[in-house]
Amino acid sequence: MTLEVALLFLQQGIASGLVVGSVYALLALAIVVIFKTSEVPNFSQGEMVMAAGYIALYLLVFRNLPLWVVMPATILAAFAGAALFRRLILNQVARANGSPVNLVIATLGLSYVLRGFVRQTGFGDTPRSFPPVIEPQSIMIGQASVTTLDLVILATAVVVMAAFFWMFKYTKVGRAMRAVGMNPKAAQLVGVDLTRIHMIVWGLSGAISAVAALLISPKVLMTADMGSIVTLGFAAAIVGGFTSLPGAVVGGFLIGIIENLVGLFVTSRAIVLAPFLAIMLVLVIRPQGLFGGRVEIKKV
Amino acid sequence: MSDKTAAMAPRSEASLPAGWSARGIPFVQIALLALAAAALVILPFAVTGYVLYIANLLLVFVVLCLGLHLVIGETGQFALAHAAFYGIGIYTSGLAGNAFGWPFPLSMLLAGLIAGAVGVVIGAVALRMRDIYLALATFAFGEAMQWVFLNWDRVTGGPNGLRISPARLGAFEILSDKQAYPVVVVMALLMLVLTIIISRSRLGRAFRAVRESEVAAMAMGVPVRRAKIVAFGLSAFYAGVAGSMFATFSTYIHPDSLGFQTTILVLTMVVVGGLGSIAGAVGGAIAFGLISEVLRQTPSYQEIIYGLILIVFMMYAPRGVFAFIRDRMGRAARG
Repeated sequence: MTLEVALLFLQQGIASGLVVGSVYALLALAIVVIFKTSEVPNFSQGEMVMAAGYIALYLLVFRNLPLWVVMPATILAAFAGAALFRRLILNQVARANGSPVNLVIATLGLSYVLRGFVRQTGFGDTPRSFPPVIEPQSIMIGQASVTTLDLVILATAVVVMAAFFWMFKYTKVGRAMRAVGMNPKAAQLVGVDLTRIHMIVWGLSGAISAVAALLISPKVLMTADMGSIVTLGFAAAIVGGFTSLPGAVVGGFLIGIIENLVGLFVTSRAIVLAPFLAIMLVLVIRPQGLFGGRVEIKKV
Repeated sequence: MSDKTAAMAPRSEASLPAGWSARGIPFVQIALLALAAAALVILPFAVTGYVLYIANLLLVFVVLCLGLHLVIGETGQFALAHAAFYGIGIYTSGLAGNAFGWPFPLSMLLAGLIAGAVGVVIGAVALRMRDIYLALATFAFGEAMQWVFLNWDRVTGGPNGLRISPARLGAFEILSDKQAYPVVVVMALLMLVLTIIISRSRLGRAFRAVRESEVAAMAMGVPVRRAKIVAFGLSAFYAGVAGSMFATFSTYIHPDSLGFQTTILVLTMVVVGGLGSIAGAVGGAIAFGLISEVLRQTPSYQEIIYGLILIVFMMYAPRGVFAFIRDRMGRAARG
């Protein structure tokens, strides 16, 4: 491999990596915001993405609705679905007096139900493709080739993330979320309605998943198993420290770039392996991730 | 002297597993055990080969569940790489039989030992973490192992899968599910007895101490880190043995069945039966294995029903079906 080819690969890898990485960053954000406030790694996040993708596909292709209706409808449906799951199911699980891990197992249950449901309705039987939101045209940036669709994906993801960070930092509800993340009991004492905040957090996480679904669906084949893409979101979250929101974003972009560079420089067969190796390496070398704080030891 | 016995009495009662009364002979339990033993003996004479295949498969799942019970139920460490060790067991015993023609008891032992050794190495690294980090690290290891099974073509046959030659011992070859059944039953019972022995030993008490509170266990002089690694290694050993049991009656293995789905299936069985109880692990494996067989023809319903069972159990019977029944009966008896 000459230096010229290597430079070309490097540019292409970073450009493509930033695009998919922005979607991974959204997924990681959706995972981390739930984990920060309720200590639950949501194993159904991938299926939420998948379900949102199919809702959009149904409205767009089978109901022939215009895009400006489909997008908000999908995001709203995902918000409501996730918030209701938290309110109706997880609340009862938390009350049922089992071990904390039961919440995680309930999210696994949801992932099964969603996958089975999509398969049952017949949409998930054959791989489907989502119609492109805009006609993709090729653009050269430096020596890297990207499409206009790629740029739209990257721009949308960045705008959504910025909006989310603004909400989390400056609004009242965002402050309440941070308070719940730091100390739920103290937050309750100063008048934060825990049930409501948990619902909003789950709803937001669902809405972000829906955005990720709308962005990634035109680029991949849709199947009932497409939720496995969330593995990359988990990898990104771990690289970022799992409790850090900026870490999740940086982790997403890093994972996207690493994945593309591995595909270009090593072999495309290893792309699948890259996120798992990243998870294991980070956890072994620096378990708190790039942005995680000190590891705390639980008191007796 | 009398002081000493008085101090001993509550401890000996506490060491009995839940459900056994120390006051009288536990007739109900003995009757149930006798019934189960009779069913196991009569089964091969009463049913067709297909039913025996299911019975074999259920017994493999029983051993898988017992292994996961040791690390999650007893020690409280959330490890999610069970299918990887199961796969290591299947490939090890399959290859030992294919390439070297080893007698099956030897390849079973080898399968368990290799899986256990890998488990100890992975555990030594992964068990520095806890909770979600441990779960994700072991999940990543499991997925990476599945990738190895899929891509190490020369050894595992890759995506074409691997044909497993019949298990043999001298001139005797296992060619049918009926011939495999006694071997599988004996292995499952051996592993069950081993689990009960471990659970009642000093080691089992150390496991439970770690589960309840690591700091308290450490203060009591339990080597926490070593106990965790031993539990993880043992669970990998169980999964390896389960894999070799599968290899005695199966002729073919494909890496598709060795991913996260299988780990979650075993986890579901253990949770539905009741996290932390041996009876729960066995009962969960049999009940859930049957459900999954009945629904095999309709995979979408299978997924929906799995999911609903998990959710409903977590909502209303979070400590498993046995604890649920016991609580209800206790409440009814108290009035």
